[in-house]
Amino acid sequence: MKTFLLCAVLATVTAGCASETETARYYDNNDIELAVGNGALMMCSCVFVMEMPEDHCRAWVRASPNVARLSVDTTAKTVESSAFITWAAKAHWVDEKRGCVLE
Amino acid sequence: MKIFLLLAAVWVPSFAWAQICPVRLSPFPTESWAKDTSVTASRTAELKALEDYAFTLTGTDAQRKGVRTDALVIVKGGKIVYERYGRGFDETKRHISWSVAKSITSALTGVAVKKGVIKTSDSICTYLKGARPDLCPITVQNLLEFGSGMHWQESYENQSYQYSSVISMLFGEGHRDMTSFILSHRKAHDPGTFFNYSTGEADLLAEVIRQAAEPTLGKDWMWTELFDRLGMKSAVVQADLKGMPEGGSHVFATARDYAKFGYLFLNDGCWNGEHVLPEGWVTSSKTPSQTYLKGGGTDEEPTANGWMWWLNSNLPKFSEKPWPDAPDDAYTAIGHWGQWVVVVPSRDVVIVRLGDDRDSDGMSTKKLIPLALAVVP
Repeated sequence: MKTFLLCAVLATVTAGCASETETARYYDNNDIELAVGNGALMMCSCVFVMEMPEDHCRAWVRASPNVARLSVDTTAKTVESSAFITWAAKAHWVDEKRGCVLE
Repeated sequence: MKIFLLLAAVWVPSFAWAQICPVRLSPFPTESWAKDTSVTASRTAELKALEDYAFTLTGTDAQRKGVRTDALVIVKGGKIVYERYGRGFDETKRHISWSVAKSITSALTGVAVKKGVIKTSDSICTYLKGARPDLCPITVQNLLEFGSGMHWQESYENQSYQYSSVISMLFGEGHRDMTSFILSHRKAHDPGTFFNYSTGEADLLAEVIRQAAEPTLGKDWMWTELFDRLGMKSAVVQADLKGMPEGGSHVFATARDYAKFGYLFLNDGCWNGEHVLPEGWVTSSKTPSQTYLKGGGTDEEPTANGWMWWLNSNLPKFSEKPWPDAPDDAYTAIGHWGQWVVVVPSRDVVIVRLGDDRDSDGMSTKKLIPLALAVVP
């Protein structure tokens, strides 16, 4: 299982080294980095803007690859998201008009 | 006498051309919606057909299959005539708009034009000091028509993330400064010649109007000049770290407040007898844009676009109307995962459907609109 995960991570990261083609632009973010960012912002939006229960929100933000570990601080109104030690993201609630922002 | 006649000659035509706000016998729902479900409740068979379609879940929640409705609200004659929620939502819960936000950003542009802080013919470089010179021919109207000509890859979670401009902007390299990220894209076409549906373009428009409006109208202008006037108390517009409003995807509001937004358009941009949007703005919004008619688009978009609204137009390039069983004048704000605000002027109806449809078997606009219209007389 560990070998499989390592391979998956390496394959995803290696894909980030590919170059931009003339017609299509390639964006240099691997899937894990994107999943972590998505998890932080969407979880923050779901819990603090939509005000839905945390269980509902964890199901709602689930993305592929499903690797983001989410930590909700209801006092500070922040969400931290991480995966495989290396990748992390944080979102915080701003105010009643502007909701959450990904840091 | 001559002066009087001259004045009359000038005054009469201008009066004749002025658009008058629709007269409503029922009060506008600024404070709250009036509700009368007696008519729809009596249409038992039609109601069952609608609810069987909209609220029948498939499989487990974790499987994310089929139609997954969170809210369905129908407004007729200025009253809510049908309202039901699912999957834990209720009338107090905000819901993500996804691309319904684009239609809201289009309306906010109209508000800014009406307040005189921007013109649709203005160059984006008037407001975006970091734009490259080759982007300066792009106007506000080009953005309203998804016609900037900038390269943009609008794809979502069902394709490679590394080729999605949207995902990279929201969660990847672009997320801290989305304006710079959008402006970093190359020019692919001359402005106004090629339709390319783009969340980046709607976000850029939101930033352009923010830069134009904030110095005069204040940082909360979206609320004071639009949302508060309609009573959309739940409206949230998220932004990036630089303050760029995510006007292409990240507006949140309750289903009832999205219905107020639709009701503004149903009333030709008027609220309580006053023009919130410039005269003619709604007509332009629901007319196929010049850019759309010139070319572009994809097979996945068999629906004409006005100013960030999708239209039931039977253009020569289509084999049929996008929603064949709906009136010709229906037009819709559409968002990912099944968000819709449908306006049907000939039936005096607004339909709001919010959902979480994650696969290709999600709700179909073709089916929803006739089913929803069938429950109202």
